[in-house]
Amino acid sequence: MRGIEELDHYEMLEVPHGATPGEIDRAYRMAQQTYAEGSLALYSIFEKRDASEIRARLDEAYRVLADPELRASYDLEHRLLSAPASVAASWPPNGKNPGPPIAESSTRMNAAVEAATAEAFDEVVEGYDQREDETSGEFDGPRLRRTRLFRGYEIDQIADVTKVAGTHLRNIEDENFADLPADVYVRGFVTAYAKTIGLDPQAVVPSYMARLQDSRQKSQPSRFLGLR
Amino acid sequence: MIPSTHSAGDSFDATRSATLGPRLLAVGGGKGGVGKTFVTANLAAALARAGKRVVVVDVDLEGANLHTCLGVASPQKTLADFVSEREEDLGKLLIDTPLANLKLIAATHGNLADAQPSHLRRVRLLRGLRQLDADFVLLDLGAGAHASVLDYFLVSDDGILVVQPEPTSVENTYSFLRAAFYRRMRLAMVGHGVRQLVTLAMDQRNERGIRSPLDLLREIEATDTAEAHRFVETMRVFRPRLIVNAVRTAEDVKLGFAITSVCKKYFGLDAEYLGYVNYDEEARRSVSLRRPIVDLRSDTDVSIYLQRIARKLLEPSPTQSGIQSGIQSRTQTGAPTAIRAGSATTDRARAGQGTTPPSPGAKPGFSRG
Repeated sequence: MRGIEELDHYEMLEVPHGATPGEIDRAYRMAQQTYAEGSLALYSIFEKRDASEIRARLDEAYRVLADPELRASYDLEHRLLSAPASVAASWPPNGKNPGPPIAESSTRMNAAVEAATAEAFDEVVEGYDQREDETSGEFDGPRLRRTRLFRGYEIDQIADVTKVAGTHLRNIEDENFADLPADVYVRGFVTAYAKTIGLDPQAVVPSYMARLQDSRQKSQPSRFLGLR
Repeated sequence: MIPSTHSAGDSFDATRSATLGPRLLAVGGGKGGVGKTFVTANLAAALARAGKRVVVVDVDLEGANLHTCLGVASPQKTLADFVSEREEDLGKLLIDTPLANLKLIAATHGNLADAQPSHLRRVRLLRGLRQLDADFVLLDLGAGAHASVLDYFLVSDDGILVVQPEPTSVENTYSFLRAAFYRRMRLAMVGHGVRQLVTLAMDQRNERGIRSPLDLLREIEATDTAEAHRFVETMRVFRPRLIVNAVRTAEDVKLGFAITSVCKKYFGLDAEYLGYVNYDEEARRSVSLRRPIVDLRSDTDVSIYLQRIARKLLEPSPTQSGIQSGIQSRTQTGAPTAIRAGSATTDRARAGQGTTPPSPGAKPGFSRG
């Protein structure tokens, strides 16, 4: 257990040493929210001065890590300080996969770093989705909503980005198929929705459209029979 | 509050190492009305529906209503009979519920005079629970941070905190966690002086200026390295798990991440975000109907979220893997990584661990490196 002042920039942002710029951005945004003044998770436990100290350190960590040059020199300095004898043995720094010996080509080393990174912060989000996949490979409305909530998007934000009315988006999530427009429109909406929350439309759209069409086919004959 | 005797510490270790027998889960969270009972009843029902033999125990002797959530009429035999020593065999207190595989040990407002069991009685109770013939035993804890509530939470294989996205609940969750933390640490310490130091630190305005767990650790380090080592090891296996209940927005979902981050930076604890449950009137209705919603309507969002959490509980306990890995890392490095003295060992260990704190089970999902 170490105090705030003893954490390195990566620990401060809770990302692994191999974190990608995207992960660093995301971690910083998350931390900004968590440690914002008056934040729900913060105010009753940290004293004011500690909280502003944390914020200052988060900012500093992000300032360095978001800049490739500053980050490179920080990494160099940091590694020199922490383990002068055996850089290779302790790399990648999260210790999960022992990396290749330092003599090997740097590209392979980068590949190792990338591999280690992939399971880093994203695992928080991806782990959930994987669990979802275990139960069903299908993308239904509730699953879309869960993914959206989990990735931190509000309906309104998606409506802003996609220019699709919030009502439609809600109807997609609630699977109010009867209230949705013709298939071809819904296809476009779902594609835009999936892209916005970072899902692969090619996985989402066919699955969702199949549900929609299935439901519409089922309801139509009954209406037809009802008319007769 | 009188510090518990050392024998309590022993009973902790004894119960933790008992890997046979049912897995003990405690659901608490400080504040009343955040849905502890609702969550407990539904997780139990979900586990039972998954084919596990489950016993739920209402240890909330003063506000017992678990039986209502499960649709059991006011029970005749209750935990009060055990507490007041009228019944020694917990097995005889088991009541069938409308769900297969799910049994209940209820508590009702019996004799208010003996509402809180004595320490010895609690130890007996916990031993008895460990011997029940079941896969899972879930404890529904009462509100507040009374010593008995903290003990149930601490001796369980998994201590689960239910929090609602509102200031009062978050505040109480932290005060509960703080109380549990210091209680656990005091029990882990051997020396009288160090124990007194922990007791002192429990008062936020203590004269030594110990404001946080970290300050306390530094004080302990200064007096006794062996105790500091114990402190860190105990901390490593203390992994509270968190459920955010009644979420309405993405912000609410993220509260879980925020709290785990704060736990790490304030307590140095690796809390695990177990999942969240959305707000839904349907949930309220299920309580009125006295049926767990996962049984009543297994396809609603609320049920899906609850079942998802239950699925996580079916995985091996991170606490147990945590203990194993704690032992491993001790034998490997010879020193706890977290004690900083600027030594070569520590620096090497730190480089080796990087930002991934002792996150043993290396499980994907919510364990946030």
